[in-house]
Amino acid sequence: MKGLLTRLSAMLRSGETSSYELTKKYIAEIEKSNPSLNAYVHLTFERALKDAETADKMLKNGVGGALTGIPYALKDNICTDGLLTTCCSRILCDFKPYYNAAVVEKLNSVGAVLLGKTNMDEFAMGSTSETSCYGAPLNPRNLSYVTGGSSGGSAAAVAANIAPYALGSDTGGSIRQPAAFCGVVGFKPTYGAVSRYGLIAYGSSLDQIGPITHTVSDAALVYDAIRGADVRDMTSAATDAAPTVLDPEVKGIKIALADEFFEGLDGEMKALIEGVVKKYEAYGAEVSSVSIPSLKTALPVYYIIACAEASSNLGRYDGIRYGFRAADYSDVDDMVVRTRTQGFGKEVQKRIMLGTYVLSSGYFDAYYKKACLLREKLKGEMDKVFEKFDLLIAPTAPVTAFKRGYSGGNAIETYHSDVCTVPVNIAGLPAISIPCGKTKTGLPVGMQIIGDRFADSAVLSAAYFCEAESVCGEEIYEGDVRL
Amino acid sequence: MITTEEIKALARLAKLQFDDARCEEFSKEFEEIVAFAGEINSSVVGGTSEIREIGGREIALSDLRADEVEPSLSAEKITSNVEAENGCFTVRRVVK
Repeated sequence: MKGLLTRLSAMLRSGETSSYELTKKYIAEIEKSNPSLNAYVHLTFERALKDAETADKMLKNGVGGALTGIPYALKDNICTDGLLTTCCSRILCDFKPYYNAAVVEKLNSVGAVLLGKTNMDEFAMGSTSETSCYGAPLNPRNLSYVTGGSSGGSAAAVAANIAPYALGSDTGGSIRQPAAFCGVVGFKPTYGAVSRYGLIAYGSSLDQIGPITHTVSDAALVYDAIRGADVRDMTSAATDAAPTVLDPEVKGIKIALADEFFEGLDGEMKALIEGVVKKYEAYGAEVSSVSIPSLKTALPVYYIIACAEASSNLGRYDGIRYGFRAADYSDVDDMVVRTRTQGFGKEVQKRIMLGTYVLSSGYFDAYYKKACLLREKLKGEMDKVFEKFDLLIAPTAPVTAFKRGYSGGNAIETYHSDVCTVPVNIAGLPAISIPCGKTKTGLPVGMQIIGDRFADSAVLSAAYFCEAESVCGEEIYEGDVRL
Repeated sequence: MITTEEIKALARLAKLQFDDARCEEFSKEFEEIVAFAGEINSSVVGGTSEIREIGGREIALSDLRADEVEPSLSAEKITSNVEAENGCFTVRRVVK
């Protein structure tokens, strides 16, 4: 089975269409759908058409790669030279970076065409994309529901086919959860597999860039184009130089199901995931139950570590060096306080406050240090699982998409929607969310496949099995090229 | 119980301003969030005493790049987003 990107690439290489024409088609679709979806917050059409002309020259000369000439969308926390990068926050409302993120450099070098920047929760802090200062994007599968978050705009753009693919970032599930809510594929690579240079930091030990696509094969192509070591990100690591080979053979692979991931899961969602697991078994995979006790504390551990890192990372927004500055102030200190108070939204302020609390004298050992030790404990338990098993299968989220307006409710309830995704970031593992069906109400359900560190190709291959064998029927959405 | 004074002190550390009305609105929610974070207190760390690098990789001094000055962005570029003069960030007078 070939994904959308492979098909588009073949059309471009054969001359059936040009990058310029393809880009114009996507621009027309964006102009039609984006005013209601709010998936993109900054459009870069003029530059896109120029880049498409360059890509057409590359195609004519037979250079570039699989993504040459294909348009894409980028989450608004990934820096683009001279183009607005706001993190959907008032404090960066007019910020134009003076350099490209490493992933943007890589995509530029192969002639990828940027259509625009996508909506997100402010500073990637949220699970609904409703904390964006531009208002929330809407879920193309049902406009009464949120897209999930924080990469909600990227997921919505792909689901609505107003981007062939998009990049998002994932600190605690921000690629996988919106992909699940919008019925598309979201892949969070191993921590370190993709350079974070130019990704505006939230929780630096957890953040990772990855693709949101229509298919698993598309995700592998984009992953191959953006991964690799980078001297500007010392946590990045060299990955296999060879392209990812997707092998749908699952005979003999060992899959673990951790009981803790399925506790309290809605019966309908559980049945959909179990249906897929049975297919793996039918094709020769060995499936066993395991227990990972530390999963029970993963959620507060995540929020302590992420908020502690955020309170430090967001210390740089002082009104002097970036974007917004408060108009009236008495002295420099007053300017910094007023700028931050007026510039950050409520959720961001809440997380900075929690981060400051857990790092402050008297609470450091009880919260931050203990959370770091519990992180090590969870990593150790995950290591033990991967000594015996190749993969873990879990729900992506314990719920389907929320009704709009959800994030105005109870904060802790919203945090609980991350319970299945945060352990992956805490342990630095790769994981993919693929659509595995819909509920009776028609909302997409996501299933997560998790692997050991740097076993990204095993994760992608196992997910590709579902696509190649049509395990989930039409639910692996291929996208309508609309040419 | 987290007092208004504690919230104001935290806000000062975080370079944020919480007036009385905001403190009142925030204190109940913040208390719930701190209680949620406190759920880790029911867990036993066990034998884990070391905090490793993420990914389990040790980073040696020799892994770091040489501390050499290399060509970088110009001051004009870096100050292009904000109030600046002659490649310097400008703020209101600090020393009187």
